[in-house]
Amino acid sequence: MDELTKVSFTNLDKVLYPGLGLKKSRVIKYYIEIAPRMLGFLKNRVIIMNRYPDGIGKEGFYEKDAPMGIPAWVETFNRYSKTAQRDINHIVCNNLDTLIWMANLAAIEINTTLSTIDNYDTPDLVFFDIDPQPPYSFDDVMDIAFSLKEKLDELNFRSYVKTSGKKGLHVVLPVINKYNFRQTREFVHQFGKFMARGSDIVVSEFRNSRDPGTIFIDYLQNIKGKTMTAPYSLRANPEATVSTPLEWKELKKGLRPEEFNIFTILERKNDPWEGLLENKQTLEVE
Amino acid sequence: MENDQDQDTTTSKPSGRPIWSGSITIGLVNVPIKVYTMIRDKAFSFRLLHDEDGQPLKYERVCTKDNKVVDWKNTAKGYEIRKNEFIVFKKDELNAIRPESDQRIRLDKFISLLSIDPVYFEKSYILVPDNSIDAYSLLMTVIRQEGKAGMGKITMRTKEYPVVVYEYKGALILTTLRYTDEVVNPGDLEDLSKLKKPSQKEMELATRIIQGLSGEFDITEYRDSYREKMEQLIETKMKGEVIVAQVPKKEEVKELMVALQETIKKLGK
Repeated sequence: MDELTKVSFTNLDKVLYPGLGLKKSRVIKYYIEIAPRMLGFLKNRVIIMNRYPDGIGKEGFYEKDAPMGIPAWVETFNRYSKTAQRDINHIVCNNLDTLIWMANLAAIEINTTLSTIDNYDTPDLVFFDIDPQPPYSFDDVMDIAFSLKEKLDELNFRSYVKTSGKKGLHVVLPVINKYNFRQTREFVHQFGKFMARGSDIVVSEFRNSRDPGTIFIDYLQNIKGKTMTAPYSLRANPEATVSTPLEWKELKKGLRPEEFNIFTILERKNDPWEGLLENKQTLEVE
Repeated sequence: MENDQDQDTTTSKPSGRPIWSGSITIGLVNVPIKVYTMIRDKAFSFRLLHDEDGQPLKYERVCTKDNKVVDWKNTAKGYEIRKNEFIVFKKDELNAIRPESDQRIRLDKFISLLSIDPVYFEKSYILVPDNSIDAYSLLMTVIRQEGKAGMGKITMRTKEYPVVVYEYKGALILTTLRYTDEVVNPGDLEDLSKLKKPSQKEMELATRIIQGLSGEFDITEYRDSYREKMEQLIETKMKGEVIVAQVPKKEEVKELMVALQETIKKLGK
């Protein structure tokens, strides 16, 4: 084992998904197997782990700081946090060992920033968080995502979609390193407002985001240091769903996010987000 | 501290190497022997660490006058005759009067072992024959039969000790003894000079109690509970804070290993 990874596994027997009886060893195995599709996206991005050391039945916790006892080989990014008023040592996941190490810490959910550490102030991802309020139907969520995609297509933007793994969808636009978060946030907000005008259920403002049965185009995620669920991250829900990159054509009536889970993901042959980071675009509209 | 976790709890394992070799001499008879340690100090020893970073600390010799660190080669030995007044000795002077070991344990008298007051016993060693099985066996057997212990002296590590040699569990045992002036005479303590004679009634009662509690000597009834607690504490700490790793289940590790090999292959492409 030692030749294959620097991680010393602990408590492999610990059950993390009690409903499915999945042990930590199964979670680690998942992250090992998904690593080839995941690592490219995570490269040079700050990671925030959502750890569930006692399984998803118990409360988890966010870990922004590199935890105590972090191995020397795990890369970190040190930055002063205005909110915390101190330096925070963030984890950066640039190799397989780090991903396995996080999995061994029961970091079921792996979240990552919209900018990389070499250009921390300028995002390379614009993030549309399509977030429904119950009662909602996932078909409606897909409809809204699709109309957003059509609008983006009209303006020649290439967009990518993934399930959040919970109830929503995430649409992402890779952009060149030129804009600040205020600009990308405003960009998303404008689309939200536009779509809210033509729909009964779409809301574009935070104050309406909790209205029952609405779908909020959450632009407020485009803030420096904020994170989104990483593509292929597991989610802490009873079905062990995965935040799954999809082809747009896969969004068909009747599709359910629970279909994409720890058991089914590896059967998917292609990675719809492959090449996403090579497709960086300008936000200027001609 | 050696690791004696796995041994049975009543005795200690023998150590590997003799600490002394020479011979027992009785008159003109020589019995070559090797001396092995018999007593283990099982107290826990701790290293002193820096509480901030857990690094071991080292001791340095610091001059009390100017607080400067002094090298070993610049040290001398002083005997304090009065507070802060010393007689200084050179190394040669000290070496000249040191007793030299002639590699012999001379036994010049045989006495009853029970006649030795236990307060004089210091430390015990096991004697083992050194190409002298017959002579050793003869000496051991005769000492056992006569119920005697040989009195004599030994020089170990530049110190001379009075010793007794006797038989115990099929071996010759050497126990070093203390000198008279190392043992305090109880009569010198004032409180003990005022003892009164107890009344007959008191004596009768006390005798009954003592007789009721009489038994055989059995040292295995006693355990070092502090040490047991310490061992438990160390074990718990090893599990938690020091070494986080636990021994994982085999088949699970195997599964992860297969997945790892596969992934490493893919990533290597």
